[in-house]
Amino acid sequence: MKTSYIIGIVVIAILIGVIFSTISESSTYAPFSTAIEHSGKTYHVVGQLNLEKDFIYEPEKNANVFGFYLIDVEGKEMKVLYNGTKPQDFEKSEQVVVVGKISNNEFIASEVLMKCPSKYNGNEQQRNNMLPQS
Amino acid sequence: MHEIQYIGEQLFFGKAGNFFLALSFATALIAAVSYYITFKKTESGNSMKRFARNAFYIHAFSILTVIGLIFYLIYNHRFEYYYVWQHSSTILPLKYIFSCFWEGQEGSFLLWAFWHIILAFFLIRRSGEWEAPVMMTVCLVQAFLASMVLGIHIGDLNIGSNPFTLLRDHPDMAGLPFISMPDYLSKIDDGRGLNPLLQNYWMVIHPPTLFLGFAATLIPFAYAMAGLIIGKIREWASPALPWAFFGMLTLGTGILMGAAWAYEALSFGGFWAWDPVENASLVPWLTLVGASHVMLINKKNSSALLSSILLVTFTFILVLYSTFLTRSGILGDTSVHAFTDLGMSGQLLVYMLFFAAQAVYLIIRNRHVLKGLSGEDNLFSREFWMFIGMLVLVISSIQITFSTSIPVWNKIFGTNMAPPQNVIEHYNSWQIPIAIIICILIAVGQFFKYKNTAPRDVNRKLALSLISALAVSITASVVLKYDRIHYDLLMFASIFAVFANLDYALRILKGRLPFTGGSVAHIGIGLIMLGALISNAKNEVISKNILDIDLGKDFPNNENIMLIKNDTLQMGKYFVTYQGKEREGIYIYYNIEYLLPDYTNGTFSKAFTLSPKVQINPRMGNVSEPDTKHFFNKDIYTHVTYADLENLDEGPSKEDTYNEPEVHQMNIGDTVSTSNSLVYLEAIGKPENKELTGLSEDDIVAAAILKVVDVNKKLYETQPLFIIKGKTAFSKDTYIDELGLKFSFSRIDTENKKLEIAISEKKGNKRDFIIMKAIIFPEINILWAGCILMIIGTLITIVKRRSIN
Repeated sequence: MKTSYIIGIVVIAILIGVIFSTISESSTYAPFSTAIEHSGKTYHVVGQLNLEKDFIYEPEKNANVFGFYLIDVEGKEMKVLYNGTKPQDFEKSEQVVVVGKISNNEFIASEVLMKCPSKYNGNEQQRNNMLPQS
Repeated sequence: MHEIQYIGEQLFFGKAGNFFLALSFATALIAAVSYYITFKKTESGNSMKRFARNAFYIHAFSILTVIGLIFYLIYNHRFEYYYVWQHSSTILPLKYIFSCFWEGQEGSFLLWAFWHIILAFFLIRRSGEWEAPVMMTVCLVQAFLASMVLGIHIGDLNIGSNPFTLLRDHPDMAGLPFISMPDYLSKIDDGRGLNPLLQNYWMVIHPPTLFLGFAATLIPFAYAMAGLIIGKIREWASPALPWAFFGMLTLGTGILMGAAWAYEALSFGGFWAWDPVENASLVPWLTLVGASHVMLINKKNSSALLSSILLVTFTFILVLYSTFLTRSGILGDTSVHAFTDLGMSGQLLVYMLFFAAQAVYLIIRNRHVLKGLSGEDNLFSREFWMFIGMLVLVISSIQITFSTSIPVWNKIFGTNMAPPQNVIEHYNSWQIPIAIIICILIAVGQFFKYKNTAPRDVNRKLALSLISALAVSITASVVLKYDRIHYDLLMFASIFAVFANLDYALRILKGRLPFTGGSVAHIGIGLIMLGALISNAKNEVISKNILDIDLGKDFPNNENIMLIKNDTLQMGKYFVTYQGKEREGIYIYYNIEYLLPDYTNGTFSKAFTLSPKVQINPRMGNVSEPDTKHFFNKDIYTHVTYADLENLDEGPSKEDTYNEPEVHQMNIGDTVSTSNSLVYLEAIGKPENKELTGLSEDDIVAAAILKVVDVNKKLYETQPLFIIKGKTAFSKDTYIDELGLKFSFSRIDTENKKLEIAISEKKGNKRDFIIMKAIIFPEINILWAGCILMIIGTLITIVKRRSIN
């Protein structure tokens, strides 16, 4: 019976490690205010684009920085600088998740995830426009 | 209210479809019950079995008819049906009709049911005494699947989503003006069409293969349940084993096709990204691999029996769980390719819990028998190490499942967890050590005999491959210079796995093909690991822009580079030119030429041209697709990460968009350069046809005959005119639109005998640019070769196992 006990203990220890690592390495969904409070810590912030302000993209200077303004669920707006190119159809996304941290009063995003209902769920307005109106 | 008489609808097909849907559900249930009676009451068994079979045949016919009807409706663009309107359009090429069919959940459930039916026909013909108890579970699953497409509303409860719902009846359309228009159908121009991501050949073959794999996982599970039900607890594994291998083969191939699709057509630059949807299909494959291995020893050693039952159950439940994850909308923001939520997650959960509960109940009922069989394995037996390997696979799947399920934990515990910041890093930190252990187990496993082996024997036989693997991997590590010890270890382990299995197949099995299945598949796994390791750890982004301003550590990524049309930039050993774009139907191709410099004479020779493209889809968003040049030992991946798609159809405008001219004083035979070409003044002459230019005999006209050569050595000729009409002198300008150049012959300097030629360049010459990314993936062919070997090895094993039974 000895080997099976040892194996059992090892397996349980590893599984505890698995759970612990996932929890400790996981990020948190939070509004900008939390990210500002804990500046330097990484958060996932969900928000909507402020399309009234222009995007900042100057590939002649640096093709790997793309800036925009995002309004989070609490209504707070922040300038987000994303270390990457301007994603395709960015302006059409209805919801944006930015992954990153606050630095010098700007949100520095290492990743930008777009939720484009137009692609998967079908933008309802656009879709309804395809149907006969009168 | 007065009923509206709609014009032009073909309602018959929908009614027929609904009839067959209901029939398929009912007959699946009837077949399940009558199969149950078949093995319970042996005296009436034979006639009952015939009845059950007939019920199943009617079920099969109904499902096939439903599928046929949907294809008919899509093919004929019957947009009065919501499913057809939602998933297809008239402009779509016919080859995508299949993708339209399974783009929606309803179609994919039907595809799944279709494969179950095909597999069930084999079971009916070949499984003998196992037919009734196994088919009972299959028919139950079919009933659940059929209920997913039923579309019945009982009060607030919706059971299934019906593919024959009419456009005007669909809840999403409620209240729209077209519903009150009798002739609405004739006014619908087109359907919404297919998601552009799915308009790719991989997406025609990947889903059916994957679903065949999903379907195949049902059979070992059904056998295990059958064994528990009829009390043949030891016997079920033997006939189920070829099916387990078949599932491993098809599910594995399906996953790899998805990886190939991601590599060829998606933009994340790689074949695996630990995306939740990828994980969801990988995990059941891992548990199925574990299951088939313990099922192998199950026949030689009874201790693996309980693990076999548990693992085939996990596999089947995990397939359902993966379906739940991708279809319930719970993944939300964490995955790009999940289905739309159709409100069927409750139903899927019931489905999952039902079969989980059934398995738990049957195991508990048989606990005494199962307990009596378990025993301890010898440390030096093959069984023991296979068992350890299975445990490692289980740990691997638990790790992946636990992290992938973060959105589920949030839902259950009300937490706010988000996926780790660096997802790939997170998974790799667990899965690379696991891969190292698995590779070593693959290497040594076969050298242990069943029951017991002398340790010295194992060492002696392994020595050769161990030493050669060490030699090769140390040399390779020195050359490749990995930045992590993990990688060096995986390098060794995977090479060891390949060598040891090669050695085993050649020296011990003496190359007898029917027995080498395991070795070949294991060599395949070793090569997959090796190829994945080298191509990932040593991939090289050559599009790095060293001229960018360094923005500090917050902006480490400089993998994208701006390339202006006709400019050439150095990338790695290549020089890369963006030559412009071409529009072809819905695609815009960006032609990117790779040149190799010859430093001895300073010239460039063309290496190859890549044309990454953007699929224009105004309805569902544009999708950009990379292009890859395949070499024997590396791939060069090129992707347009940003391009201006706003001004695509900008017409050729003339004066207003030209830059200030550059004025050249030229002699005959002189050459001057522009940003994209060389201009050679060949001669001065008379214009070929004076009348065409609208001038009279008295006017003085001179033509500058210019030869223009662009970067591709394409030759153009143009003749700007210098005209003296009365007392005024002026130039008649000419244009070369392809190059965006304007030529003026503005003066003849008689004193110095020079001609004044002014050349203006279009502003657009500078404006047309792309942002691109180029990555070299070294040795990625090792990975694909490994995939093929794994498939071949598994096929050999299936053939051999079938002949044993």
